[in-house]
Amino acid sequence: MNRALASGPIVWLGIIVTTCLLLVLFQTVLWLVMPLLLAVIAYYLLSPLVAMAMAHGMTRARAVMIVTLLLTALIVAVGMSVAPKISSATHDLPNKINEYGQVGYQLVNNARQTLYNYFPFLHHQLAPETAPTAHTTLGFVSSEVVPAPAPSPIASVNDVENEVAHLQSKYSGDVVMELVRWVPSLLLVPYITYFFLLDGPRFKRFLVQAIPNAFFEKTLYLFYRIEDQLRRYFQGLLALTALDALYLGTGLWFLGLNAPFFLAALAAVMAWLPYLGSIGGGLLVVLVAAHDFPANHWLPYEVVGLFIGVRLLDDFVFMPMTIGRSLRMHPLLTVLMILLGGAVAGIAGLLLVMPVLGVVMVAGQIIGELITDERILARHRHAQHLKRQRARADLFTEG
Amino acid sequence: MLFGLTPTPMPARNPRLQLLKNVVLFKDLSMRDLAMVDSLMHERHYLAEEVIFDEGEEGQGLFLVLSGRVKITLPADANAVLVELGPGAFFGEVALLDQSVRTAQARAIEDSQIVALFRADFYTLLETHSAIASRISFQLARALAARLRRAVSDTGHRHQSV
Repeated sequence: MNRALASGPIVWLGIIVTTCLLLVLFQTVLWLVMPLLLAVIAYYLLSPLVAMAMAHGMTRARAVMIVTLLLTALIVAVGMSVAPKISSATHDLPNKINEYGQVGYQLVNNARQTLYNYFPFLHHQLAPETAPTAHTTLGFVSSEVVPAPAPSPIASVNDVENEVAHLQSKYSGDVVMELVRWVPSLLLVPYITYFFLLDGPRFKRFLVQAIPNAFFEKTLYLFYRIEDQLRRYFQGLLALTALDALYLGTGLWFLGLNAPFFLAALAAVMAWLPYLGSIGGGLLVVLVAAHDFPANHWLPYEVVGLFIGVRLLDDFVFMPMTIGRSLRMHPLLTVLMILLGGAVAGIAGLLLVMPVLGVVMVAGQIIGELITDERILARHRHAQHLKRQRARADLFTEG
Repeated sequence: MLFGLTPTPMPARNPRLQLLKNVVLFKDLSMRDLAMVDSLMHERHYLAEEVIFDEGEEGQGLFLVLSGRVKITLPADANAVLVELGPGAFFGEVALLDQSVRTAQARAIEDSQIVALFRADFYTLLETHSAIASRISFQLARALAARLRRAVSDTGHRHQSV
């Protein structure tokens, strides 16, 4: 049986409450947590390279220096190639939002009309006001659509445009400011990664020094398991992202989309955000397909099919091979914790809940074992007694 | 220095390395190799009569005596001392090889300075510095073989006396 499930209900309650409290705390210092999280990911990504360099006779300091310089060069190169695109995209953001908003609206309308065509009984369930205006925009559905009397659940084109215009005037400046605000924080990533790689083992030894003798071996094991849990989670996440990007990119390339591997990589990274990220990434690519190829009415549906296919591959093949193997959590617990993380700390909570839960789970189990092990507690009390005895040995003199 | 850590002294000037050099497991290692192994070790100080580990605990690594004395006793009789170990000796070595439980209790006889090599760190050493790790493994295998021979010989003597 899984050790996690073997822990008692009180330990589990403690694990869940601690995870939620940490998520709330992390949300308040997100500017620090995000670079730390990225540095941890970079650390687990780069530590095999450092180990490889050390295996070839290089000192740790030199190996870490070279690997960190490579990381910095990569970040600078990616930043320089992406910055102009981001700048022009930001400049053009209001228009783009408007365009994609309209494309989205037309796509939804098309889907609705297609459904009416194939399932006429839906007219009475869903069909609202007259839809014939929509078929003229894309010429995709037949004109035999019968309007239904119910009010439309979907807003008109004008409403959508007004709403989009309102949102863009409200948030487009904030988006730019938010991006600018995150830059200095993200510049910390290579710096923190350097020290993680260089001093990680020494820092661990420094922490272990503070552990009383009686708890020493079990605490060492706790450190090992936490590190192993994090390493496997992040390496699994990166492997999953690479596999997703490869398969999605190949699929999008076959479908003829522009920049297929960039879109696939973006969608794969967005999928780091559980559930919402996958939906958002899929929606983004569908909108791009509908926007770039307005004449190909089936393309968005083919993209949706591709996403569903890759999702299924993810769930049944890739995820058990990568992340699933690392956390060994019950699926119900995973879903509940993701919902709880989102409820207590929003988007940050969704993103951080799994790694935080993984660490707290291991720590909770081991601490639970330590504080309920009467023999270890007795040994600790015995060691304390010996120390006190030693400290007062020469305080009392005879006579 | 970051986290209050002091820089590692040069191998020749590090007194702990001089003590480690006397451990049979490390006799094939150069001072430079020894410094590498030393960076993975955790130093502990035990008072006389303090328990180092108990029988039945899940072992996580090997312990080396740098100074002081340690006794190994069986759980059935704490007074029946299996062996007393002094500086340069090591114990709990089976835990370095697998995740088994301790079969005896280790307790400091006098104030002792002990270093521990954790199994996970030894596995890391196998990956990053396989030449060093294989030399340690070879010495460990020789020590285990010597103990096995001694145990077989003791059993033979007991049979003869019966």
